[in-house]
Amino acid sequence: MSFENIDDFEDKALQAVTRRHFFSRCGVGVGQVALASLMADGMLSGAPATNSSTEPKKPHFPGRVKNVIYLHMCGAPSQFELFDYKPALQKYDGQVAPESLLKGKRFAFMDTFTKAPPKMLGTRREFKRYGKGGIHVSELLPNIGSVMDDIALVSGISTDNFNHGPAKCFINTGSIRFGRPSIGAWVSYGIGSESQDLPGFVVLQSGPRGPRGGAALWSSGFLPSAYQGIPFRSGGDPILDLSSPKGVTERTQQQTLETVRDLNLAKLAETGDPEINTRISAYEMAYRMQTSGPELIDFSKESRKTLEMYGAEPGKATYANNCLLARRLVERGVRFVQLYHADWDHHADLTQPLDQVCREIDRPTAALIRDLKERGLLDSTLIVWGGEFGRTPMGESRESKKIGRNHHIDAYTMFMAGGGIQGGQVVGGTDDLGFSPTENIHVHDIQATILHKLGLDHTKLTFKFQGRQFRLTDVKGQPIAKLVA
Amino acid sequence: MILKLLPAGMALAAASLFSQQQAANPKALELFESGVRPVLKASCLGCHNQKLRSSGLGLESREELVTGGNRGTAIKPGDPAASILLHAIEQKGDLKMPPGGKLKDEQIAAIRQWVELGAPWPADAVAKKRPGQDHWAFQAPKRLEPLAVKDASWVRNPIDRFILARLEKEGVKPSPEADRETQLRRVTLDLTGLPPTPKELQDFLADKTSKAYESAVDRLLASPHYGERWGRHWLDIARYADSDGYTIDAPRQMWKYRDWVINALNRDLPYDQFVIEQIAGDLLPNATTDQLIATGFHRNTPSNFEGGIDFEQYRVEAVADRVATTGAAFLGLTLGCARCHDHKYDPISQREFYQIFAYYNNTDEIATEAERYDFHRPVLELATPEELAKREAYRSQIAMLSRELATYVRTLAAKPAKEGDTPAYQDAGLKERVANLRTIRRREPAITTTLIMRELEKPREAYIHLGGEFTRHGAPVSPAVPTVLSSKPIGGSRLDLAKWLVDPSNPLTSRVTVNRMWQSFFGQGLVDTENDFGVMGAKPSHPELLDWLATEFIARNWSQKSVHRLIVTSAAYRQSSHHRPELEERDPYNKLIAKQIRMRLEAEILRDSALVASGLLAPVVGGPSVYPPIPDGAMAVTQVKREWPTGIGPDRYRRGVYTFFYRSAPHPSLALFDAPDATSTCTKRVRSNSPLQALTVLNDEAYIEFARATAKRIMKEAPANEAQRLDYAFLIALGRKPRPVERERLSRFLAVQRDEYLSDPTSASLMVIKEQVFDSSPGGAMEAEQSVDPKQIPELAAWTATARVLFNLDDFMTRE
Repeated sequence: MSFENIDDFEDKALQAVTRRHFFSRCGVGVGQVALASLMADGMLSGAPATNSSTEPKKPHFPGRVKNVIYLHMCGAPSQFELFDYKPALQKYDGQVAPESLLKGKRFAFMDTFTKAPPKMLGTRREFKRYGKGGIHVSELLPNIGSVMDDIALVSGISTDNFNHGPAKCFINTGSIRFGRPSIGAWVSYGIGSESQDLPGFVVLQSGPRGPRGGAALWSSGFLPSAYQGIPFRSGGDPILDLSSPKGVTERTQQQTLETVRDLNLAKLAETGDPEINTRISAYEMAYRMQTSGPELIDFSKESRKTLEMYGAEPGKATYANNCLLARRLVERGVRFVQLYHADWDHHADLTQPLDQVCREIDRPTAALIRDLKERGLLDSTLIVWGGEFGRTPMGESRESKKIGRNHHIDAYTMFMAGGGIQGGQVVGGTDDLGFSPTENIHVHDIQATILHKLGLDHTKLTFKFQGRQFRLTDVKGQPIAKLVA
Repeated sequence: MILKLLPAGMALAAASLFSQQQAANPKALELFESGVRPVLKASCLGCHNQKLRSSGLGLESREELVTGGNRGTAIKPGDPAASILLHAIEQKGDLKMPPGGKLKDEQIAAIRQWVELGAPWPADAVAKKRPGQDHWAFQAPKRLEPLAVKDASWVRNPIDRFILARLEKEGVKPSPEADRETQLRRVTLDLTGLPPTPKELQDFLADKTSKAYESAVDRLLASPHYGERWGRHWLDIARYADSDGYTIDAPRQMWKYRDWVINALNRDLPYDQFVIEQIAGDLLPNATTDQLIATGFHRNTPSNFEGGIDFEQYRVEAVADRVATTGAAFLGLTLGCARCHDHKYDPISQREFYQIFAYYNNTDEIATEAERYDFHRPVLELATPEELAKREAYRSQIAMLSRELATYVRTLAAKPAKEGDTPAYQDAGLKERVANLRTIRRREPAITTTLIMRELEKPREAYIHLGGEFTRHGAPVSPAVPTVLSSKPIGGSRLDLAKWLVDPSNPLTSRVTVNRMWQSFFGQGLVDTENDFGVMGAKPSHPELLDWLATEFIARNWSQKSVHRLIVTSAAYRQSSHHRPELEERDPYNKLIAKQIRMRLEAEILRDSALVASGLLAPVVGGPSVYPPIPDGAMAVTQVKREWPTGIGPDRYRRGVYTFFYRSAPHPSLALFDAPDATSTCTKRVRSNSPLQALTVLNDEAYIEFARATAKRIMKEAPANEAQRLDYAFLIALGRKPRPVERERLSRFLAVQRDEYLSDPTSASLMVIKEQVFDSSPGGAMEAEQSVDPKQIPELAAWTATARVLFNLDDFMTRE
């Protein structure tokens, strides 16, 4: 009969191999065998069309890194308070912005700028030089400063839209319109994931609220939905229902999964609905997560020193915990980990609210870099830090006696670390006032660079949809030479 | 000529402008051409053009200057001193224009003189048509008679003519009709959100008349579960929840509104009335209690009660949300985009956003810190006689205790004090009495209430909020609806707005509503962007059908049931959902509707289906929200610790629509299966497919409980042989018989499970018998569980495992 092979495999081979191993071999591959035998019996007709495997695939060329940890700072951090040191801006502090600067420019919240002509705003924060490169970093980020020799600042980045939702969508999917695949989905589609026990693309969130744009930011768009980002819960246990119910033995659970898979394959053959393929993968992943999940989220084996270095407190919904979890995820071969941390949208006040969010991210971010380095993982992991755009060198005054900065899409700062990137350097740059870039670096270039580090040519990573080949970078972008050299 | 270009409502104003211009002297016009127009062009139009309209102000026509922007009128012809434009360019006050510089003195003088002369403007530059005004969705629906088709035998009702005409034009054949079992399961799930019972299926298959399907549809439309199903769709739009939201997220009583919705759908309250009562039921003459409850619709906005906040900010936030919701739910417009600036694509100005805002701005809600004691205001008390009796008893108990305390204090005070005595305030008896009273005070019995709308006697001033910010008031505005949607002005009360929304002349509301119905029955609307019928929205796939349905809906007196019936009895709806490889490239999104589509069940419906299969469903309609079991740790995410008093007895098994919804910690299985978060209106749910969903159905306590009950049901209700039991299991879970390959596979699964549980009695009893946690609880469920015949346990465990397999099948989770 059609399933005898599987049963034999179970009964005999099971004792010899671990469950994990068993299921990693018993993934879609064996599923297809089962399907083939069902079809050979002439019981079913019509084959499924989509292959949505997340098994590792060969990149276009040997990648420099295996994994990416992308630290997305929601709301657009002010580069002037953090990294973009501008003595000239200090000099013009309080002066009305020259008309030539603003002419023809569009900003979000134009009204605050038309109410009164905007004035230049020098930062109130002190800067210090860090590391061998003597890179300027603000007093708000002393810990990140201390690992500056591993960090390359990318300065003067431009993007296309000055509203949070669309701009977040843009940096994640290459389009301001919702519905395109996200970068993590493109990567999973391109090279799969080393981990067959955990999703290849995991999303972690912290801060007072979720990112604007929500699930569209880690969606698989028109790619098979198996490539979508899997958001872990932001508080309590990151994953619920990880253990089998009482009374369900290991054997029962295995048998259940196999039976479900076989019957789903039969349904797939009958209806041809590719979504069933995704469900089959989801169940296989769920089963493997039962083994890998509890161990993944259990911080009890982390040393006290490590916990302190991150400032992690088990059970809390914090960025620090998520950084530690991110390290644990890449250790286990998860391809793309994305952290979202809110909220950086400092229109009205660059004092206490900015202090707070910097405190939340400074130590954990630095700890993540240091920890990966100590464990020999920094070389194979690319860390990307940054928001969806930057902020204006002009101040914005919404409440009396307080000052913030408006959205600015021409020249913002992100950073990258790991994957052999030369630390202690600034790539790109901005003019004296920090208003315009001195080199052209666009968000599409950042995307191309991330893909390149993973061994993917952004012009070749395409998917045909509605008669057109789509790609993450649309028709633009090129890897930033200094970062991929 | 000029008048024709203007919307009719503005004709009068334009006429007066026109007559003023007649009198313009040629010298003044010359001054305009030589000294004013060039300056405007060079220094102002960069921002104040038709497209950008910075601060809501355009400077391309006289009319725009006179109407002004967010700060009000820019010029008062003949009166430079009263003209904001002059203030701005003279830069004597806060407003300095142009930004970053000043015009030359002679330029300013020329403009001043031009205004003095009455600010004449040559006829060439009078207001143009607003971009987007010609957009299809802003025109009244055009009703065409159903199109002619070649294969009339396929047509079951007029809908099919529209669908088939298009298919024939494209040379694509419709899909065959789905098998009868699938048809019944589909329509039962779509209309009631529950799968058919074996009896219903049996009756349907036995009914050989030509109207068997239609009879089933009529039965379903009459079921009280219809209101629960379609009520839930509406509750998504209403952003209904049982808590306040924001960080405090305290529970609130709102379930009376939820029940009103369910009931309104069950009695097929005409949609126009349905809308009017929700938007402005309180303003109807002699409003009934029900009509007041209905106004809870717009009280479902989240409320922030954190310390140190400005209540006005969150009141404004709620009012803005009501405008945005009105846009998405009724008009299919992204009105929210015009909150901070003019809409980028649609002809909706920021001013018009705040004109709608003005309709909602007069409700009597908390706006200052001093009112914190009454933060849910206005609230309607709906105490039952029992609740009133309880409260009465409670109040008299408090009164009695207070009197006792007073007497005790008096006695204490009367005692002569001696050196070394315990001070009176430390007297043990006193302390006990005070503590007792305090404890009891906190336990005031709850009275059923619900949040409603109530209009202030004196309306609040409404303004344009510059940059969308609540503190920055621009020009004052009065209630009005967008000119692109209404050729004549309407009245200024919320009731006027409500009536306008459902006025047959409104080009959007009926289209948007039938489109959402279509979306529920076919997975996507005829207009794919169901909440954006604007310029950037999708074009309708079948415009004639959309308009036909929209007009038909009104012609059928806005009866939702009637249109639902029309759609589900069409041949288009009854098609098979099987994938068609030949259409994959050509029509990947099934725009042609050459088949039905498979949809994963919504969060609530998935669980409801398991409840039905297991026979556990407590089919009570309405009542306070309930607390079904929740995984450990699920409530650990809230900022303020919240109780989850897990239900015992029937309340464990109510439909998902009744599950208590904390905005900050929704029941995890609701969130994982894409139930909306109730922070803002949701007109279409996502259908994701993730490993975390698999973990829920596999491992969650709730589903093992359902599987256990299902197994018992199979053993009890099906004949005692495996084949028939398997048939029955399929029937109750999937509404059909197993195919041979499925029967064979499950049979082998069962054999292995029997083996497993015979050799492992401990696991077998854990599988079969509920944990002791609920042992002490009142209610019969536990006792029944205990009375399992020990010899039956391994068999029952094996069947529990089998039921679990069924719940995890794609088939079970999907409406075909």
